[in-house]
Amino acid sequence: MSAEALLFYVFALCTVVSAGAVVLARGPMTSAMSLVATFFFLAGVYALLWAHTIAVLQVLVYAGAIMVLFLFVIMLLSMTEPEPAMKLNVARVVGALSAVGLGAALIASFWKLPTQPMGWAEDSARAAAFGTLKTVGEIIYTRYLLPFESVSLLLLAAIVGAVVVAKPRI
Amino acid sequence: MTLPDLTAADLQPVLPALVLAAGASVLLLSEVFLTTASRSHLALIALGSSVLAGGVALATAFEPAHAVFQGLAVQDPFSSFVTVVVCLGLAGVVLLSADFLKQRQAERGEYYALMLFAAAGMSLLAMSAELITLFINLEVLSVSTYALTAFLRRGPRPAEAAFKYFILGAFSAALFLYGSALLYGVTGTTRLADMVGPLRTAMHTQPWLATCALALVAAGFAFKVAAVPFHMWAPDVYEGAPTPVTALMSAGVKAAAFAGLVRVFLFLGRADPEVVALALSALAVLTMVGGNLLALPQRNVKRMLAYSSIAHAGYLLLGVAALFPHPGTGVLAATPLMLGSPAVNSADAYKGILFYLLAYTVSSVGAFGVLSVLERHADGDGATAWDLDRFSGLAQRRPGWAVAMAAFMLSLAGIPPTVGFMGKLLVFRAAVDSGLLGLAIIGVLASAAGAYYYLRIVVYMFMRPAPAEGVLPEKYWATELALVASAVAVVALGVLPGRVADWLSQSGMFFGTR
Amino acid sequence: MLPVPLPHTLALAAVLFCLGMVGVMVRRNALVVFMCVELMLNAANLTFLAFAQAHGDTTGHVSAFFVIAVAAAEASVGLAIVIAVFRSRGTVNLEELKTMKH
Repeated sequence: MSAEALLFYVFALCTVVSAGAVVLARGPMTSAMSLVATFFFLAGVYALLWAHTIAVLQVLVYAGAIMVLFLFVIMLLSMTEPEPAMKLNVARVVGALSAVGLGAALIASFWKLPTQPMGWAEDSARAAAFGTLKTVGEIIYTRYLLPFESVSLLLLAAIVGAVVVAKPRI
Repeated sequence: MTLPDLTAADLQPVLPALVLAAGASVLLLSEVFLTTASRSHLALIALGSSVLAGGVALATAFEPAHAVFQGLAVQDPFSSFVTVVVCLGLAGVVLLSADFLKQRQAERGEYYALMLFAAAGMSLLAMSAELITLFINLEVLSVSTYALTAFLRRGPRPAEAAFKYFILGAFSAALFLYGSALLYGVTGTTRLADMVGPLRTAMHTQPWLATCALALVAAGFAFKVAAVPFHMWAPDVYEGAPTPVTALMSAGVKAAAFAGLVRVFLFLGRADPEVVALALSALAVLTMVGGNLLALPQRNVKRMLAYSSIAHAGYLLLGVAALFPHPGTGVLAATPLMLGSPAVNSADAYKGILFYLLAYTVSSVGAFGVLSVLERHADGDGATAWDLDRFSGLAQRRPGWAVAMAAFMLSLAGIPPTVGFMGKLLVFRAAVDSGLLGLAIIGVLASAAGAYYYLRIVVYMFMRPAPAEGVLPEKYWATELALVASAVAVVALGVLPGRVADWLSQSGMFFGTR
Repeated sequence: MLPVPLPHTLALAAVLFCLGMVGVMVRRNALVVFMCVELMLNAANLTFLAFAQAHGDTTGHVSAFFVIAVAAAEASVGLAIVIAVFRSRGTVNLEELKTMKH
């Protein structure tokens, strides 16, 4: 097993464990910190998938900005008391079972995927440029100009919306 | 690196969205620089932008369909007409908001700006032809609507409604996104037009994966259009949101979400039309029957209109299902009732969907308009503000409103001579033509059941005495203008749908089809 | 060949997605439910990136980039709404937010 593969399995295990902690932890603070850990381990997985740019963005934006926002809110609302134990009802059980069923069906189908020949990675120039900031940036500003501008619209709407909603009263 | 050659002609398809976004920016800036005591200019700016954007969209609606922005979006009559409908609905909603907000001392530029942002997102959503572009535009309209729902916080309801809307919206967005990711994996592209071929192959080589991916995308849309069984958020959200925002949800958001649904499934459905048609038909039956049955016992008119909005999503889904051929696979289509061999006349199906969207937009904006003027500032948070008793004797106190409301109710129930009847007629006819006779019969029966709760309001308005202590509702010029305009449209389009229906059935409606 | 087989990466994403989905279904703290939605978005991102590597196609990276931006926008509005709910009700427990029954 190569070092890359070994690292992947370590990161994957850590991701699953910390994601499980997000779902199962009693206190919101524990969930939030586990989510930060999940994002970090995922960034590691992304780097192993040769997505260097996204790995960096994951740490900067997700683990950095978005999670800090979560922590701010938890502290602002001083949510320290743990949530009472979950009560099971039919809808919840059915929902959770359908989620598990979907996951099982998907995982089973993944093993039927044709093995990718990965011929493209033989081209060393292409493999070296893959996932770098230059390649991703070029495509974002040329081929994906329209969604890029939509994102700017989205961010403006989100800023205005967040300010409006967080005001004490209108 | 080659930069794309952007000319003014490339920007022309997104011009309606640009007008709306520019209007929103003007509104935001006016909050900073133009702080006068009277704030009626805000509504005027918003109204002007929506009318201008609608006009621009209508002017482009007769151009042949073509791909724009390297195939990430398309401009076709379908997208232009959806934009026109959205802008019409937006103009009506702005008129309703003007009085609603003034009465509550809550006129803010941000409110109208968020509405215009949402409309820009809807316009862009109608033309998106790539999954990521579509996802982002869907989020533009959703995020603006979440914020609008919580805009006017009188009591806990709006915040809770916004939260429910937000969580289920984010959840459905995640479902849609994961489905898109799987589709990308299966096909190697995110462009809908390029996906068809690889997806058809994948339907044979990896049926499970492709079906799961399609189901996830469909579930994401089903949440957005509030199709049964993904509808549970709609009544609470519709009830808790400020009434003009509810009107925007039922008019604009629904139209745009349907445009996205049609766009995605017309392309992806070609990979396996039978499965997609079956799923859409099943969803349509559940939604038509479920929405109408759930609306029956409601005494709270706002909640009743929310369930009615679900039922109307069902009729629209029937129209979407009619876009696919049903060679004996559709639910109940194999009954002896089936006439001849079904042939999809897609021009009729588009006409049905678009005309229905137009009909529903006009009628629901009007209905929510009447609801918003009957609702008083002093009502606070109680659900009594929308109780059926509010409508008792309205015909004696405000005959004009009562007549307008009666027209909207008849139209929603699908009774001639209103636009709602024409819409239902076109949708059901398209469904029968494509071999969905059984479904069309279920639809007619469901809407007959629905007539009960619409007509009950008419009975209350005209046959019940007005409550003795009844306060005469105040008059508002902007809302009245919206009511008059939509009532005239409801009747005029119902009697003489000719020109508009012809526009909607022109050839080459949809990019990538004959 | 890939250093890690594609199905393994995809299975990790599916597990994350299902954990998030189960969390949305069973948790009652509004913030934690929102965190579970973030898990689902990350699962979608991981799927995009895994397939991008397998196809040698940068579209997956661009998609993940946009998803991160969308998640940030969603988070800002969502957390503002959580604050508004807390202000009006003094709780973010979803079971106590059931005033809207007819």
